[in-house]
Amino acid sequence: MASQAEIAPFTDHVLRALSELRAQSNPVAESIPDEPREDLERLISAGAALEALLVDGGQDKDPGTRRHDIMNVLGAMRGYAEFLIEDLETTFPAVASALERVVKSVAAASNSGNKPKASTTDTANVATADLTGTILAVDDNADNRELLTRYLERSGHQVLVASSGLEALARLADRPVDVVLLDLIMPGMDGNEVLKRLKENQQLRSIPVIVISGRQDMDGIIECIEAGADDYLFKPFNPVLLQARIKAGLERKRWHDTEEKYRRQLERNEKFIRATFGRYVSDEIVENLLEEPEGLKLGGDLRQVTMLMSDIREFSTICERLPPDQVMRMLNNYLGVMTEIIIGHQGTIDEFIGDAILAIFGAPVQRTDDADRAVQCALDMQQAMRDINRGNRKEGLPEISMGIGVNTGDVITGNIGSEKRSKYGVVGHHVNLTARIESHTSGGDILISSSTLDLLKSPVELGSQQQATVKGIKEPVTMHHILARTAATSGA
Amino acid sequence: MSLKVLLVEDNEMNRDMLTRRLNRAGYEVEAAGDGEQALQKMRETAPDIVLLDMNLPVKDGWTACQEARQDPATADLRIIALTAHAMGEDRDRALEAGCDDFATKPIDFPELLEKINALAEKGRSA
Repeated sequence: MASQAEIAPFTDHVLRALSELRAQSNPVAESIPDEPREDLERLISAGAALEALLVDGGQDKDPGTRRHDIMNVLGAMRGYAEFLIEDLETTFPAVASALERVVKSVAAASNSGNKPKASTTDTANVATADLTGTILAVDDNADNRELLTRYLERSGHQVLVASSGLEALARLADRPVDVVLLDLIMPGMDGNEVLKRLKENQQLRSIPVIVISGRQDMDGIIECIEAGADDYLFKPFNPVLLQARIKAGLERKRWHDTEEKYRRQLERNEKFIRATFGRYVSDEIVENLLEEPEGLKLGGDLRQVTMLMSDIREFSTICERLPPDQVMRMLNNYLGVMTEIIIGHQGTIDEFIGDAILAIFGAPVQRTDDADRAVQCALDMQQAMRDINRGNRKEGLPEISMGIGVNTGDVITGNIGSEKRSKYGVVGHHVNLTARIESHTSGGDILISSSTLDLLKSPVELGSQQQATVKGIKEPVTMHHILARTAATSGA
Repeated sequence: MSLKVLLVEDNEMNRDMLTRRLNRAGYEVEAAGDGEQALQKMRETAPDIVLLDMNLPVKDGWTACQEARQDPATADLRIIALTAHAMGEDRDRALEAGCDDFATKPIDFPELLEKINALAEKGRSA
């Protein structure tokens, strides 16, 4: 059975010989008698058929049929050429000798199927018209560059050429390349060095490199493969194999690019999430969001959260008595400590309003212990006031006290604002209710609503409860004083 | 008297080329484009030599050859298989199917003429 490698017994010689024939015959075509002139046209159209077969024909066919098609065309070419030689050798010797070369090239091409192959890459699906890319052909020989350019452009590729190793590196630095075809033996920087530098470069190393070289010794081939070459073709290159290898290279590159794009997209998402939430939530929540981004709905989402609002009593009075720089120093110290505590309990800081803080538990990431963490957070915040006031005393600043209100309810969470300025936050009636509850506190108090209390799993020591009528709610709201955690687990 | 060659070839270009070359070389050429047509022309024209491409539409060369061998009218015809494969299975299949000789595409014309003449000699002496 014919192996697939045998399907492609071609070198570029046939097509080159044909173009030479065209060059010889065109100027004298009018003086060639009708019959040989028609045969000449048939021969040249057979050449076109061959090119078509090599470039984009027959990939749907089985190897045997494909070989048969190609051999038929080659047979016709050889036959017409020999026929024509008989007709023209005395009258048009230059054309006849061009024909001789066509015959020789066809013979060479049809016998070349058994040459060793550098790689076992199969040549099925030789060329797909839709898979094209930018190909850099590196060869110090102008004819080879020209030939490669012709082949590749015909297949729809965009072709860049470089005549030396240095030029190749300059081209690569200049613009994106999908596949590099690399000659080895070049003056100056040789192909091996280009390959080495390419594979050392972080940006370029993923570009597949197909070495095309006259060197056929195994050591040379192995050296290239070890240096990172993706493929190795012998010169004169076999166009069908070249097409197959380029296609494989493009597929590899495309796969790599897709992965890279996906990776960059993830990185961008990560940056966005960190930028959006990083200042307000704990690293743990950011990591959670990154790991399970589907839990993150920025578009607006009705969900149950526990809100914590704190406020420094009489802060505006304090402000009036203190120079502005002291106010800012005291405030920033206070907010800094509180931020640490809130984030430490996986709370999200929704906003600072002057000295007031609105924190959310349950958004963007919902947990089963949102209410517990909010209450524990409130207790820890009150606890921290002792240290803050100790510091204030040391610095000659006034002591402060803080009230905290905690409430649980359904709110809308999402990015709020305009395109130019937006932030992740919550809106809804329960946000206002939280503020109302907080407004009933005195310094050192923690007041929680019944809805939060009902959700608590860890027991708390309750103080008195009070009721308040809140605007917009018919029923009076019951608020509970929290004194401490009763369990020994407090102080997380 | 010139030898009569039946050329069975589906590729138009090759059919044209070989027909004209054979004509020029002094052979009388009858042509067919598929296996079925080939069997019909074998019976009708009694050629001295059949050049039979193996990859043919309608009925391939191997089948056509086998059938020709089974029909007393064509069983003794001299048949040269034309295939695209120089080695291996194709050649063996062609000979097994009953072909007398074998030529590989692209055809080496002088070699083909030698084979035609040699077979024709055999046919005459047989």
